[in-house]
Amino acid sequence: MAKPRELRRRIRSVQSTRKITKTMELVATSKLKRAQDRVAAARPYAAALTEVMGDLYDPELAERFPLLRQPPEGGEGPARRVALLLITSNRGLCGAFNANLIREARRRLDELDRAGTPVDLHVVGKKGITYFRFAKRPLASQRTDIGDKPTATHAAELVGPLVAQFASGGVDAVEVVFAQFRSAVSTPPTVLRILPVTPPTEGRKDGKGMASPPSVLPSFRRSANYILRPSAEAILAELLPLYVRNQVYRALVETTAAFYGAQRTAMKNATDNAGDMLDVLNRTYNRARQAQITQEIAEIVGGAEALKG
Amino acid sequence: MHVTVVSPERAVFDGAADAVVAPAYDGQVGILPGHAPFLALLGTGVLAVRQGSASSRFTIAGGFLQVVGAGGGGDAVRIVADRVEES
Repeated sequence: MAKPRELRRRIRSVQSTRKITKTMELVATSKLKRAQDRVAAARPYAAALTEVMGDLYDPELAERFPLLRQPPEGGEGPARRVALLLITSNRGLCGAFNANLIREARRRLDELDRAGTPVDLHVVGKKGITYFRFAKRPLASQRTDIGDKPTATHAAELVGPLVAQFASGGVDAVEVVFAQFRSAVSTPPTVLRILPVTPPTEGRKDGKGMASPPSVLPSFRRSANYILRPSAEAILAELLPLYVRNQVYRALVETTAAFYGAQRTAMKNATDNAGDMLDVLNRTYNRARQAQITQEIAEIVGGAEALKG
Repeated sequence: MHVTVVSPERAVFDGAADAVVAPAYDGQVGILPGHAPFLALLGTGVLAVRQGSASSRFTIAGGFLQVVGAGGGGDAVRIVADRVEES
C-alpha cells in the first residue's frame, strides 16, 4: 500500500487542480453568458437584413449581381475553386470543440479534393492554424487576433478579400466552417456556403443555414409598392456584401459562444472527475493511516510483551 | 410611430418617436408619422430620433432605412445601419 505521505501529496495536488478547473468553469460560465447575449443581440440586424433582401430579391435582377453568380453547371454543381474559412478558438481546455471543427473542415476538404477542386484554406484561431501547420497544409490566410468579442469590423476584414476574389472570378464558392450555437450543449460544427449568396427565403427550410431567428421587431408587412431610393438594384448591390458579412459575423459570435459552452462543459467534467479522484484518494489515505497506527500499536504491545519476559 | 435602430452588434434604440431625421445616401430625410412605405440607402451622418421635446442622436454610417405601415397601430421605421455610435 502507498505511503500516507505520498498519498497526502497527491491529494493536495488534485485539490489544487480542482480549484483551478472550478474557477475556469465559473469564468467560462460568465463569458458564455456574455457571448450568448451577443448572439441574441445580433439577431434584429440579421432578421432585418434577411427580410429586406427577401423583399428585394428578384431572379431577374439577380443575373446582374456578381455575388449571386452560381457556380458553373448550375446550382450546387462542382465549383472550380473554393475558399474555405475555418473558425476555431485561440485557446484550448474545451474538450473536443476544436477537434470537431477541424474534423468537419477536413471532411469538406477531402470531399472537395476528391472532386478535384482546388481549395484555398483560410483559418481563424490558433488551434486550427496549429493543426494545419502540423498537417503541412498551406493556408491562404490566417489570423488569431479575434478574441472574445468579434465585431462586424472583424467580419468585414475577413470577408472583404473573399468577396473581392469571388466577384473577380478567382473563386467560385466561399464556405465557412463554424460551430453553430444551438444551445450551450449543442454546438454542431456546420458548413455554410456564404457565396454565391443563396437568396434568403422565408423559413430557411434547407436546414443548412443558420436557423432563422424569430423576428423581435414588429412585423413588417411585405409591400411591393415601396418608394425605393435610389433603386432596388442599387440597394441590393449595397446590401448583398452586408448580408455576406453578417453571415460571417454570426458565424464568429456563434463560434465564440459555442467555445465557452464547450469550455464550461469540459471544466465541469474535470472538476467532477477531480472530486471523484479525491474521494478515492482520501479513502486510501485514511486506510493507510489507520494501518500505520495499528501497526505501531502492535509493535508497542509486542515490545511490552517482550520486556515482561 | 415605432422606431428601431439596429447595428450589426445590437439593437441600439427601440421605442416610440414623433419624428426621425436620417442621413440618406443623397441628403437628409425626415420621416413623420404617416409616411408612405419607403426604403432608402443611408449615408454617413447624424440620425436624430425625436420624442416630444427629447431627442436621441446617433452617428451612423451605411445600411438602410425602411418605413412600413405596421397595420392599424401606426407606422414603423427601421434604421439598419452598418455602424452606429450614440452621441
